[in-house]
Amino acid sequence: MGAAGRLSTAHAHYAGALPPTPRAAFMLGMQEMLPGIPAMAAWSLVTGVAMAKSALSLAEAMGLSLIAYAGAAQLAALPLLVAGAPIVVTVMSALMVNLRFVIYSAAVAPSLRLLPLRQRLLLGYMLSDMGFVFYMRREPHLRESPMRAWYFAGLGVVVFIVWHSASLIGLFAAAAIPERWGLDFIGTLALLALLVPMLATRPSQVGGVVAAALSVALRGLPFKLGVVVSIVAGIAAAVLAERRAGETR
Amino acid sequence: MSATLTFWLAVVGIGLTGVVTRCSFLVLGDRLVLPRAVERALRHAPAAALSAIVAPAMLLVDGQVGLAPGNPRLVAGIAAGLVMWRTRGMLWSMAAGVAVYTALRLLWPA
Repeated sequence: MGAAGRLSTAHAHYAGALPPTPRAAFMLGMQEMLPGIPAMAAWSLVTGVAMAKSALSLAEAMGLSLIAYAGAAQLAALPLLVAGAPIVVTVMSALMVNLRFVIYSAAVAPSLRLLPLRQRLLLGYMLSDMGFVFYMRREPHLRESPMRAWYFAGLGVVVFIVWHSASLIGLFAAAAIPERWGLDFIGTLALLALLVPMLATRPSQVGGVVAAALSVALRGLPFKLGVVVSIVAGIAAAVLAERRAGETR
Repeated sequence: MSATLTFWLAVVGIGLTGVVTRCSFLVLGDRLVLPRAVERALRHAPAAALSAIVAPAMLLVDGQVGLAPGNPRLVAGIAAGLVMWRTRGMLWSMAAGVAVYTALRLLWPA
């Protein structure tokens, strides 16, 4: 079985080549990100509301959102910032939550590593949970495509704009939005909708169940470290399952 | 150190963690060649990461595991997952999840 044959069926219909011009590839990226907008907007709105309802001033909250550009890390650092915790503790907690980006970075690197350094830095800054998931649907077919950076940028620009505008709306509208609306849960539902098609193969199902169970079991670990541990364990479990399936065949 | 300075230094530090992690392999990619086995393992990263983020949000009620039907997020999540599995329509799935979640909260307010 070739490398392409091992891809889950969910990825198969993204197999086409990218359009031949930068503009068209950029537009395709923007267009494919559209279904992800409700999820990002909901997450970002909630992050903005949470920051506005903390003891931070408006300028501080806006600065945190613009500079950090990472919702989970912002939410993890928020109570520490408000409590005036040591810088080291706050930054370490954000780093733990952001460690998943190392995994993402390594995953997209094979198809992007031949680009000029400045482009790689810019695309790296645009790397997000949602952008990563969408890019990886096409990634195996993008290695030879000269338009891959434009496609990546198209995905990233939508995430950037939606994130920051929804975050600002959340900051300013916080007083009017009751927490019991459960806006954060809409974000969860959207992530779930992304997850389900990925669970088409047995190894990915094994990995998903292990990661999910561990993440719940390890919720008490400090700095949200349990999330990183669960992801690594889930990947390991999926690899083992894949290897076993290969042996029994 | 003043509280204001501490705050902004911490914020810059948080921003740096994002830049360093995101750009790590993109910048070092030339020098760090990824072995095939690692590369293959990373293909499983998205599903594992999303599972690790989604599961606690669906299962935990005030920090405790809530498996009972009285956990509206779990019930709504299962409904949304089933719709996604059958239809592959992201917005349909989210609409189903929101509908079930809202209905459960209105019928059995906490």
